[in-house]
Amino acid sequence: MATNTRSSRRRIAGTIVLLFAIIAMFVVKLVDIQIVRADTLNAESLGNRSVEQPVYGSRGDILDANGVVLAGTVMRYNITLSPRNAAEFTRTTDAGEVTVTVAQAAAEVGALTGKTGDSILAIISGALAKDKSSDYAFVAKAVDVDVFRAVDKLEIPWIYFEKNPSRVYPDGAVAGNLVGFVSSGGEAQAGLELGQDSCLASTNGIETYEKGADGVRLPQSTVTTSQAQNGGDVVTTIDSDLQWYVQQVLAKQAKATGAAWGTVVVQEVKTGKLVAVADYPSVDPNNVNGTEKADDRGSRAFTASFEPGSTFKALTAASVLDAGLATPGSKIVAPYRYLPPNGANVNDSSGHADLNLTLTGVLIESSNTGMSKFGELLSDQQRYDYMTKFGLGKATEAQFPAEDSGILHAWENWDSQTKYATMFGQGLTTTALQVSSIYQAIGNNGVRLPVQLVEGCRHADGTMTEVPATAGNQVVSASAARDTADMLEMVYQKGWLAAKWNIPGYRVAAKTGTAQMPDGHGGYTHGYLVSVSGFAPADDPEYVVSVSLADPVKLNSSAASAPVFQEVMSQVLKKYRAVPSGAAAPALPGTW
Amino acid sequence: MSDNLARVLRPNWDNTPDPVQAPDTRHIEIVSTRSQRRARPRIVYALSAVAGMATIVIVQLLLSVGISQGAYEVSRLQASQVELGRTAESVTEDLVRISSPQSLAANAEALGMVSNSNPVYLRLSDGAVLGAPASATGSQGGSASLVPNALLAGVPLVTQLPQGTGQGAGVGGAAAEPAAKVADVAPKAATHGIPTPATR
Repeated sequence: MATNTRSSRRRIAGTIVLLFAIIAMFVVKLVDIQIVRADTLNAESLGNRSVEQPVYGSRGDILDANGVVLAGTVMRYNITLSPRNAAEFTRTTDAGEVTVTVAQAAAEVGALTGKTGDSILAIISGALAKDKSSDYAFVAKAVDVDVFRAVDKLEIPWIYFEKNPSRVYPDGAVAGNLVGFVSSGGEAQAGLELGQDSCLASTNGIETYEKGADGVRLPQSTVTTSQAQNGGDVVTTIDSDLQWYVQQVLAKQAKATGAAWGTVVVQEVKTGKLVAVADYPSVDPNNVNGTEKADDRGSRAFTASFEPGSTFKALTAASVLDAGLATPGSKIVAPYRYLPPNGANVNDSSGHADLNLTLTGVLIESSNTGMSKFGELLSDQQRYDYMTKFGLGKATEAQFPAEDSGILHAWENWDSQTKYATMFGQGLTTTALQVSSIYQAIGNNGVRLPVQLVEGCRHADGTMTEVPATAGNQVVSASAARDTADMLEMVYQKGWLAAKWNIPGYRVAAKTGTAQMPDGHGGYTHGYLVSVSGFAPADDPEYVVSVSLADPVKLNSSAASAPVFQEVMSQVLKKYRAVPSGAAAPALPGTW
Repeated sequence: MSDNLARVLRPNWDNTPDPVQAPDTRHIEIVSTRSQRRARPRIVYALSAVAGMATIVIVQLLLSVGISQGAYEVSRLQASQVELGRTAESVTEDLVRISSPQSLAANAEALGMVSNSNPVYLRLSDGAVLGAPASATGSQGGSASLVPNALLAGVPLVTQLPQGTGQGAGVGGAAAEPAAKVADVAPKAATHGIPTPATR
């Protein structure tokens, strides 16, 4: 009996141990599944029935001052195919089931995407040659909704679609120089697209949902893993209609005169806002490759600096007046050649006998020697200070990408020739924007306002951020500015281009410039940069127009740029309903 | 019980008098009181409970059928919303494209309009004419392509549209159909491109 009891006890003990072992195994497995591998397993099971898809945040628009879309985002579609699955299939039509061969399907797709059927067959065979189990190849990138729908309707089982949010520029080359463009991958590359990328950029989100066996989304199963963020809209100060007109006029004249390039800037005198900035040649952001040279794809008005020439004399005259060292009627004798004591050598563009000119007369005749005699009344440092106050030597407040600051050497480094050359716009460089800004300050009673291209970044809730500062600074006194404007009006009335730039009904202040162009190696080329800058109505200035044409081979003088000034200024005054001037301009004597 | 033999037991409900016992034994029975009888469960309750459960099951079934039906409906509507969204986008794109300055200028010129770059003003206070009136020379003539727009490639001018389709006729395929419908009810389609308003 004793052995019997012991063996039964042992059996019981064994059973209990076994039981515990089994339970322990279950517990371990349970912990492993429920806790250790819970996340992976959950994800795996969800993966079998859940679908994850990107939710595209849309990149912000670039708008003109009136809300016209200059750059917008549209949905485009990439057509892809699975080469390894490319096989004939049956299609149900009204006439029953039809077998469609690969060649036939390829021809159908080709007809819709502007390719040949053979080229699509080549895509398939090419992909298969590289990789036998290839499952992915592009047929066409970024096709529009109409093509997408047409191809989708073919119901080819081995054709797939991908969403591809793309950029579209409805106005084409209108403001294309400013708006810039993005790469096919959506990377900002130039212009405001690049400069304002932090405002425009969007973030894509992800949402997952579960689907049933028939592909239908299960109710209540949509989970947004990360929210898509739309980009903000960049509101510019540009008027797209005026911009078009200005580009048109500029392109026409640049072609007629054979100019290498040209720019036109239209700026509001009382706000500093740019209403139009035209460049020739320009880029159509919808077709960037259509503009061959990379240099022609940006905006030279911002990125190219040049020696401004005689348009700069307005700045020197205003500085001298502000310092109280001369009046519009101050008299000098302007010789053809002037040899100041410091060893410089200044001459006028064409030979002439000594002229008895007032400061007004110096501007009318655009005499370099006369301007030198007024300019030397100021010290170099004083003139340098005036130039920096007028915004030279640093990029404007517009913050355009790759904007040029121009070259303005410190006055201590000026050699004797540069000391005089800087009085009439040589020996330093400015961008078209900086020239425009000088005239804006003169027109605005001596108050220079920040150059403004962007009004701000507008978010979905209507708030504006990144609004630029608009506080101006008094560069010259109001009376000096007023006197300069009066003198420039005399230039407009009595200058040699008076007949060419006449705008009936308005008082206009303007100055021409003809500057030699540097060849980039310290010397000058034979070409000239011809320009006209001015503002109107002169009695109450509203708009600055600044025109520059580089090397117009067929008409190498400011007579080439004057018609552009005339047409653009007329259009600006007409468009903005500027009130025609009443009183006649004060007559200032040019000679004595 | 130490064996497993079946025995016939005398049922205790057998009320027949035991023939062996005394014949005068009286029959006594406990009669439940009225309240006791009333308190006893009735079949009605059972039935209503079962019916309730059945109703709940059926309603639940119907609801889930309804929800899954709704899922299909939602799915269908979402698909159609996506489709309509695409149509709206495509039509808007067409509209924005033909609203571009290049398109407007080219169409205006095709219709014979020219821009006059000589602004002339009439001052109302004294009737003075400011500016020199001159006839327009068509300053932009033939130069509409100087500011290119790749989006307008292949878009016909108003004057190149087939006659009788009305001025709104489609630019893109999506716009063509509704525009044609509008043309059916439009008063009178333009015959020379310019619609003339009927003045009475």
